[in-house]
Amino acid sequence: MSAPSIDRYITAPRPEPLRRGGPAPIYVVCSPNRQVGKTMLARLLTEHYMADARPVAAFDLADEGPGLADFLAHHVTIPNIRDIRGQVRFFDGLIETGNVPKIIDLSHREFANFFTIVDKIGLFEEARRRSIEPLILFLIDPSPVAAKAYGLLRRRFAGISLLPVRNLMVAKGLPYCASFPHASTLVVSLEISMLGPAARALVEREKFSFLDLGKQASPYSDMSVRTRAELDAWFRRARFQFREIELSLIREQILTALQVDLSAGLQSALAG
Amino acid sequence: MAKPAVILVGADKGGVGKTTVSRTLLDYFASRKIATRAFDTECPKGTLKRFHPAITDVVDVTSVPDQMKIFDTVESSDAQVTLIDIRAGLMTSTLEALRDIGFIDMTKRDELTFAVFHILGPSIASLDEIAETSKFLLDARYFLVKNFINNTSFFDWDERTYNSYFNKIPHAVEVVVSKLSEMACEQVELSAVPFATFIADKKADGEPAGNSFVLRGYVRHWLNNVFAEYDRVRLTDILDAKDAASKLRGAGKITEFSPQRANS
Repeated sequence: MSAPSIDRYITAPRPEPLRRGGPAPIYVVCSPNRQVGKTMLARLLTEHYMADARPVAAFDLADEGPGLADFLAHHVTIPNIRDIRGQVRFFDGLIETGNVPKIIDLSHREFANFFTIVDKIGLFEEARRRSIEPLILFLIDPSPVAAKAYGLLRRRFAGISLLPVRNLMVAKGLPYCASFPHASTLVVSLEISMLGPAARALVEREKFSFLDLGKQASPYSDMSVRTRAELDAWFRRARFQFREIELSLIREQILTALQVDLSAGLQSALAG
Repeated sequence: MAKPAVILVGADKGGVGKTTVSRTLLDYFASRKIATRAFDTECPKGTLKRFHPAITDVVDVTSVPDQMKIFDTVESSDAQVTLIDIRAGLMTSTLEALRDIGFIDMTKRDELTFAVFHILGPSIASLDEIAETSKFLLDARYFLVKNFINNTSFFDWDERTYNSYFNKIPHAVEVVVSKLSEMACEQVELSAVPFATFIADKKADGEPAGNSFVLRGYVRHWLNNVFAEYDRVRLTDILDAKDAASKLRGAGKITEFSPQRANS
């Protein structure tokens, strides 16, 4: 993690009010630890958009398999942020097409490097200036490393939505408030619920897609009705929460637009 | 009226980043609203002038008429700071000329501020330059700049040797210019605009440039580090503008940095 920025002199341009229109956030799915469900959450999110036939761009910054690209090969790009040319390609592209939601599955090994670069180049400030909302979805777990990393992100990216995500398979009973206080204007919380062993084994198979649950080909044809129903309900629960996030974003957009209109109206009234 | 200041940026060795440091200084003064003019001694084509054309004149610092153009106008100019980017090989001879015309004596009488930014290269020859240069600068502000922008590793230097040179000049202050990614550096060169204009994503004519935001971010981060270094050595204080400087520091962030200021 980088030291607190000394960008005291020339700051990134001030954020513009959010545009009216559908939200197309940049989701950064992250944790400094492995095996906490980052790729699973990124998959759920990507398939949430795909299920509605909405455009989505997913990026696999995982450096060990199976990663997002192993599950959604045709929909995922694998960027390289280790050199500056790769960074230019990836980060510039990230904010150029502002109307498509982006999902970044960030490996625990790239965690520090990614946020150091983001801090240096001012990615989140630039995204906001272009009416793109960055959302950091942080998979919490009981390790002190996670709590420390969460605190660092919270301090370094104050004002950026940092949402703790509780994956009940690794963080059941872990309280948010102590080490992972909610740091977002979006009044939502995310939780990945438990899955039975059979369903879990299925979703961890490469090429498994929630969108294909209705298919009769293997491995979908092999699953019991109960497992199929469990997975279907599980995906729906996740999607319900993602919709809540989207609704919160829309509400924020409307509020910001109203504030802008109101202050413009006040200014013209005062000028008149 | 604040005391005028003359800042000489030079080195006898070429390719150590004299013009780059001059450019950062012009951006720094522009950000602090200190009126500055510059002279580019890379005659006749000019190097610094490519980046700051509105405030830069190309001069032949070895010719008397051009010396008059620079030094006879220091006090009458609207600009508080006169920055001279000395081409490679002319540092010592320029200092000799300044001594001969009595310019250095003026600094002794406290009529103006004279500062030298001596850009050091990685070779031992740079250390010999320090001894050569410092004898002219007993009453001047002497900044020894370790310029890492091109990833200079100062491989020839033994730290003890460097310190022995450095300690001989008690008033010398070390300034470190950190490394900037080659690609970012290259893009600013190609854009031929001040660093601040590149950061603001503008062309020289003020039109949007469409530069990579990643590269702009890196340049902004780097330039802020350089500015922090200039603040650390209290650069604005030497201009006898302490009040203005402390007010600026008290104000904290400068949130809007107009590229026009850097050009004008």
